[in-house]
Amino acid sequence: MRLLRRKGTGGGEPTRIFYASDIHGSEPTFRKFLNAARFYEVDALVFGGDLMGKLLIPIVRDAGGTFRASLQGKQHHLETPEQLEEFKKSLDTLGFYWKEMDPEEYRTYEGNQERIDELFDELAKERLRRWVALAEERLAGSHVRVYLCGGNDDTDVVLSALDEEPVERVVNCEERIVQLDDEHVLVTVGYSTPTPWDTPRERTDEEIGKLIEDLLAEVPDPSRAVFNFHCPPLDSGLDTCMKLDASVWPPAPIIESGQPVYYGAGSESVRRALQEYQPVVGLHGHIHESRGVARYGRTPAFNPGSEYGEGVLRGLIVAVRGGEVVGSQFTSG
Amino acid sequence: MAEAVAPQVFTRRASGLVRVMSPYSAFIYNILTMGVIFPWTYIWAPTAFQGSNLTLGILFAFLFELPIALAYAWLATALPRSGGDYVFQSRVFGGGFGFTVVFAFFVVWILQWVALSGWLLAVLGLAPTFIGLGVTTGVDALTSFGTWAASSTGIIVISILNALLSLMLLVSGFRNYVRFQYVMWYGILASFAVMLFLFFTTSPEAAQAKLNGFAAAVDGVQNFFATAKAAAAEAGVNFNPPFWLFGTLMVAPIAWTSLQWCTYSVEQGGEIKNAHVFRNQVFILAGSLVVTALLLVLLAMGMQKGLGQDGILVASSGYWYGVPEATIGGTFLMPNLIAIALTASPILIAIIGFGYILNSFQIVCNCYIGTTRILVAQALDGLLPEWFSRIHPRWKTPVNAHLAYFLASIPVIVAYNTVDTWVRWTLGVTFANGAVMTLSALAAALLPYRAKAIYEASPGARYTLGGVPLVTVLGTLGFLFGSFMVGSFLFEEGLGLAYSIDAFPYYIVLGTAVFGLVVYWIMRTIKAQQGIKVEYAFAEIPPE
Repeated sequence: MRLLRRKGTGGGEPTRIFYASDIHGSEPTFRKFLNAARFYEVDALVFGGDLMGKLLIPIVRDAGGTFRASLQGKQHHLETPEQLEEFKKSLDTLGFYWKEMDPEEYRTYEGNQERIDELFDELAKERLRRWVALAEERLAGSHVRVYLCGGNDDTDVVLSALDEEPVERVVNCEERIVQLDDEHVLVTVGYSTPTPWDTPRERTDEEIGKLIEDLLAEVPDPSRAVFNFHCPPLDSGLDTCMKLDASVWPPAPIIESGQPVYYGAGSESVRRALQEYQPVVGLHGHIHESRGVARYGRTPAFNPGSEYGEGVLRGLIVAVRGGEVVGSQFTSG
Repeated sequence: MAEAVAPQVFTRRASGLVRVMSPYSAFIYNILTMGVIFPWTYIWAPTAFQGSNLTLGILFAFLFELPIALAYAWLATALPRSGGDYVFQSRVFGGGFGFTVVFAFFVVWILQWVALSGWLLAVLGLAPTFIGLGVTTGVDALTSFGTWAASSTGIIVISILNALLSLMLLVSGFRNYVRFQYVMWYGILASFAVMLFLFFTTSPEAAQAKLNGFAAAVDGVQNFFATAKAAAAEAGVNFNPPFWLFGTLMVAPIAWTSLQWCTYSVEQGGEIKNAHVFRNQVFILAGSLVVTALLLVLLAMGMQKGLGQDGILVASSGYWYGVPEATIGGTFLMPNLIAIALTASPILIAIIGFGYILNSFQIVCNCYIGTTRILVAQALDGLLPEWFSRIHPRWKTPVNAHLAYFLASIPVIVAYNTVDTWVRWTLGVTFANGAVMTLSALAAALLPYRAKAIYEASPGARYTLGGVPLVTVLGTLGFLFGSFMVGSFLFEEGLGLAYSIDAFPYYIVLGTAVFGLVVYWIMRTIKAQQGIKVEYAFAEIPPE
């Protein structure tokens, strides 16, 4: 008779995973994500993609040492160091990048999208490097690992920061199969189907299907796999969002009879994979406002949604044991 | 240093958040939910509190509700999620408290509103409309249908069909409801305008004569008004009461049965476009309150002008004192029935009736919309089975929650119309729902202290008064005013629970609370066995 069992195996203690996605550069939200390990008493932190922020705020130095910046349609005149620090802190919460610059430097960016994109990548990569270092520091001495991957919004340049330094606690799980515990593996695909925003890591549904098939070909027992697919399954209720007209920039909501049109923006290939392989669980993000759960046979699929801009960490605790989900809990903290 | 510039934001190509119902639709939703058709202020208060001033009482209710509505604006922008009151209270007070209060006092008690909305549709909408049309057109079948609609069987059948129709509309897609809401909105506005026109263009003497004619046509009684007035006087109605300030103050809780619902849109906060924008929420919550209070005041003034004090007291005596002589066709003299009696035009009758029918239907819809969103939020937090949270993949609506609520409402509909004392618990709903809203006002007051990070990230955090967060000031005021009105329902004989002769209604209220607590405890235990602590759903995680 076995008196002691390892975590995650049938009859023993379940392996508890904390999953969150779509942090989009938000500093306090990522810090909360790391603290979730201790706070929620979990064994693994799994991130579902979209690490990068969406905006870069130039903070332009005025004559006299004050600063100007635009945020949410409002011009801010920052006269004291305290105001400047407070402003930067609010940008960090919102997940925006910022850079102090002189008017001359600012003008070199105006209308030059290529330079702006380079600056984005530079600042985002720098932030991700800091996050990796912070994860190593916070999780040092614990058994918890943090599994990070990109989403459709993340550029490959920025994601390369995940592989730069040899690390112990941080695992780059992008397009890889990694071991979660003795019994379960994590299979990750961070791409999404095409969006009206033409983001860096979009693929056709067929291409996503092929990526999934290629990865699963190396998994001996998919029923013991945790699917970490950024894109949710099509028409699952986890993928409902406003339909946008991509022929204008920025894309505008499509209105019919005075009402916005909603549709499922997920992936057919992801849905098929969940139905066919019946993994332990499907973990998804991408559509921030579509928090929920769907079920495919024995397999539950979750999207915890995202409220990163408020500094709120939306997540999911899922306990797995013996190839099954034994408990789950959405969180919002 | 070069010349100063006004820097712009640098953007990359990335997706944004999207939401559903427009703020204007949510504003309309709240006005319709407050139900300008609710007759209680006009048929209950005048004889329950003789000497009270209706207009002043409505204004008191408005002033008491205003800080509550404004405090909700902070909550709704800090936590713009579906499940509103439950989300607010669970994040500020903790899951056990938030779940128990909102599940027991909203989800369970609003079943009574589903039954009430069927009653409103039958008794306020269909019965007077068809009786009126029957009288004016001389078609007996219409009158007979109107009378059947007000019977116990008629109300039960109509209530269940009403709930079923609402279920089908809402399950088919929330956008379908939003579209249909515009039909309801314009229909109700037209109906209300016609009623005001009829009241303001008549005199008490003319109104009494028309009521006499209408009652003769429906019930075959002669000299209706004088007979009703005499019976009311005999029952204890004083037709020359002196002004009574406390009585006027007690009109406020009755008017609050309507005005308290100006915050109800928060239950579907996750489906309102730009719900996190402060001015939008002020418009939705406080704006709808102002407009509805104004409509209620106009109706009170219109009735005073068209019916006079005697007419209002006679109408109220049929309801409060149960004077049978003061009813027509078995129906209380509610504002719409009186307005119908004032006109001989089938078109105007149809407009009035159509508006009331639409508003009754909207009320059952809002019962479903609010409670299903709460059920989904509670299930997502793991406090109800996951089944409740499932969204239909095609219709994008919480079908399971809708279905469960519909099935739960059927026995309540039957009991409401067959158990003698059940109908009186309707006012217990106001107590229970009012308690939820009052506690949410307290949650707003404590938001800066109990959910600091959420508050600091919210747009309302910039408003302070003498260094104190403005939401704390408004929330405290709202809590005090709300407690006053909830307390009135509990202890004032002319109101709510206290007017029952025994303590049974109190046990029912207590019982629902215990029921909520038991459900919480069971779910907590089940989750613990699965290796999950439900407390995690409500805990704010520190970033450092």
